[in-house]
Amino acid sequence: MANHDLVVTAPPHIKGKDMISTGMRDVAIALIPLVVMSLVFFRLYALVNLVAAVATALACEYVMRKMMGREPTLGDYSAVVTGLLLALILPPTVPFWWVMIGVIIAVAIVKELMGGLGVNLFNPALFGFVSLIIISRIFGPIVLGYSLGGINGVTSATPLTFIKGGALNGLRPGYWNLFLAHGGGALGEVSVLAVLVGAAYLLYKGHITWHIPASIIGTVFVLSAILGENPLYMILAGGVMLGSFFMATDWVTSPDTRLGQVIYGVLIGVLIVVMRLYAAPTGAVAYSILIGNAVTPLLNRLFVIKRFGAVKSVS
Amino acid sequence: MVELKTFRGGIHPPYQKEATAAKSTEDISLPAEVVIPMQQHVGAHNSPTVNVGDRVDAGQKIGSSEAFISAPVHASVSGTVKAIEGRPDFTGAQVQSVVIKVDPSQPPKWAEKKDTGSLSAEQIRDVAKEAGLVGLGGAAFPTFVKLSPPADKRIDTVIINGCECEPFLTCDHRLMLERADDLISGLKLMMRAVGADKGIIGVEANKMDAADALTTKLGGDSSIEVVLLEVKYPEGAEKMLIDAVTGRRVPPGKLPSEVGVLVQNVQTAVALHDAASTGKPVIDRVITVTGGGIKEPKNVLVKVGTPISHVIDQCGGFAGTPGKVVMGGPMTGWAQKDLSAAVVKGTSGILVLGKDEVEYGAERECVGCDKCIDACPMFLMPNFIVKYTKRGKYDEANRFGVQDCFECGCCAYVCASRISHVAYVRKAKAELAAAEKK
Repeated sequence: MANHDLVVTAPPHIKGKDMISTGMRDVAIALIPLVVMSLVFFRLYALVNLVAAVATALACEYVMRKMMGREPTLGDYSAVVTGLLLALILPPTVPFWWVMIGVIIAVAIVKELMGGLGVNLFNPALFGFVSLIIISRIFGPIVLGYSLGGINGVTSATPLTFIKGGALNGLRPGYWNLFLAHGGGALGEVSVLAVLVGAAYLLYKGHITWHIPASIIGTVFVLSAILGENPLYMILAGGVMLGSFFMATDWVTSPDTRLGQVIYGVLIGVLIVVMRLYAAPTGAVAYSILIGNAVTPLLNRLFVIKRFGAVKSVS
Repeated sequence: MVELKTFRGGIHPPYQKEATAAKSTEDISLPAEVVIPMQQHVGAHNSPTVNVGDRVDAGQKIGSSEAFISAPVHASVSGTVKAIEGRPDFTGAQVQSVVIKVDPSQPPKWAEKKDTGSLSAEQIRDVAKEAGLVGLGGAAFPTFVKLSPPADKRIDTVIINGCECEPFLTCDHRLMLERADDLISGLKLMMRAVGADKGIIGVEANKMDAADALTTKLGGDSSIEVVLLEVKYPEGAEKMLIDAVTGRRVPPGKLPSEVGVLVQNVQTAVALHDAASTGKPVIDRVITVTGGGIKEPKNVLVKVGTPISHVIDQCGGFAGTPGKVVMGGPMTGWAQKDLSAAVVKGTSGILVLGKDEVEYGAERECVGCDKCIDACPMFLMPNFIVKYTKRGKYDEANRFGVQDCFECGCCAYVCASRISHVAYVRKAKAELAAAEKK
C-alpha cells in the first residue's frame, strides 16, 4: 500500500474550537461597548490614545519576539487586548506618547521578557499602568504639569475624589450617571453599563466565570458598608467593575481553582477598600489586582481540587 | 421528559455518528492472511501453542498463558501457520504474532446453540476464560478476572456500558439494535457469575431506538433496567458510568468491585452469550469504519487479525488524501503510521480523517484558562500535571493525581493552547513506573 504520510500524534484526534486567539478575540469584542462609549465621550482624545496603544502593543510584541527568536504570535489578539486595556484605564488627557511608554513596559517587559504569554506573573496592562503612575509622580509634574490621577482641566474630576471628599460630597455624580455614562476619570470608567454588557458576553462565551468578579464586587460592597462608606458608590465609581470583569479574570494571572479564585477575589476586594479609604484612591484597583496576581501561585498550591472519589484533597 | 443521568465534567464534542448509525452490520471478505498478536489484552503475554506449517481451524486456541491475568487467543480463520514472528501492533510495539495464511474453503463450525440457563457461576467464568474474552470496549481487560471479584467484595449490580460516548463510533449502537436478546442473555450470565441481583444497561439519549428495543425485549423483567444517560463524553468511562447510574464513586486506585459494581461493554456481553451458547471464542468483532477520509463508512464484522489496509479496501478505500488513520475512536484511539497493524479484540473502529480534517496547530504555553480543570471527569488539574511533567518533577505530577488519569483526552480537547496533555500524562506515568522499579 502506498505511503500516505500519515500524521501520528497522541490522542485526542479531534479538538475543540477554542484557542488562545478566539479567547483573546472575544475579550477584544467584549471591550467594544466600552470603546464606543469612550469615543462618544472623549472623541479625539480617546481615538488617539486607543490607536496609539494598540499599534504600539502590536509593534512591540513583533519586535520583541523577533529579537528573542520566538515564533510570531500577532494573530492571537493578546497584544490588542493589552493595548486596549491600558488605554482604557488611563484618563483621556494623557498624551499618546505617555500611553506608548506604558504599553512598551507592559508588552516588552511584563509579557515578553518574562517569557511570553502564559509565563507572565502580572497582568501586563495593569503593571504598565502602575509603572506610569510611579513614573508620573517623579517626572509627571515636570513634563506634564500634573501627575496622573490628579484633577485636570479637560474632564471633570475623577469620581474617586469624592470618596473621601467630605464637604465636596454634594458635587459627586449620581448612581445613574456612573452606571450609564459619566465623563470623569479614565476612558474605561465612562460607563458601568458598557462594562457589564461586555462582561455578559465573556460569561456567555465561557471565557470567565462569576467567581472572581462576584467575590471582588461583593467584598467591596460589604466591607464599604461595614466601614460606613456608601457601598453602591464604591462599586460604581472608578475601576472596580472594569478591573473585576476584565483584569482580575485574566486567564494567566488568576488562580485556577474555584476556591482559590474566591479567596483571590475577596483579597482584592479588601485591598481596594483599604487603599481607597486609608491611602490614595487612584490606582487602588490596579495595585490590589497586582497583589492578587502575586499571591496566585500560592493559592494554586494551597487549594488543590478534591479528586474524584477521594476523601482528602491531596494524597 | 425523562431525567437523564450523568457525571460532573466532560465535554460535548460533535458526535458525527450519522454516517454509520443507521447502517446494519455487514460481513467483509476474508483477507489473504491474518496477523494474530499473542498479546491483545491487559496482563501476561501468551506463548504460541502452534508451530510454523501447522494447519489450524477457526476457533482453535493458538496462544495461552498460565498467568491469572491473561486471556488466550484463537485462530480467527482456518488455514496454515505461515510465520511466528514479531510484528508491530496498533500501538507500534513489536508483539510476537502468529501469521496465518487463510484457507477460505473452510468456514468455521460451532456447536449447536444450547441453553445457557443451567450454567453455574464457575462454568460461566470458565467459558469467559476459554473464549479469550476481554473487555471489547477497548480496555481489553480479561473478562474472566472481572467476573472473579475478591471474596470480601459483594457485587450487587452489573452495568452494561451502552453509552458509546466516543464520537464517530456506532458498533455498540448497532449491536444493541441487532442483538438485543443476546445482549440481555450475556448480561444475565454476568449477573449470575458474580451473584448480582440487579442489571443495568446504560444508554446515551442519542440512541433512543436502542433503548426502546432493549426495553421491549426485557418485557416485565424487573431485575434489569435500561437507564438513559446524558449525551456527554466520557459518559461510558467506567467510573463515570458507575457514578452517573448509581451515585457511587470508586475511590482513587480502586476497582469498581470496591463499590459493589461490575461494568462490561455491550459487545463483551454479546460475546459472552455466543461463547456460552455455542462455544465460539472471540475471533471476530463489529467495528465502525468511518470518518471523512473513507469512501463508504460502515459497521463491519471483522476477523481478529485482519490488517487495517484490507478493512479500508472493503469500505471503498480512501476518499481523497488521508491525513490520519486512527485505530479506535477519535478521543482515545491510536494514530497509525501505516496500514499494516491488525484489528485486535479491543479495536472498536477505524477512523480515517482527511488531510484537511487534521489540525496541525502548534503547542503554546498554558495560559491558565482552566478549561481543562472544568472538563476533567476525575477532578484533576491537568494543567499542573503538564507543568510539572515538563519540568521533570514527576513526584509533583503524582501529587496532582496523574495516576488517577485514564487518558480520556477531555483536557487536550478543550485546550486553548493545543497542549497534548495525554502525551505528558503517559510520560509522567512511564517515569513514575521506571522510578518504582529502581
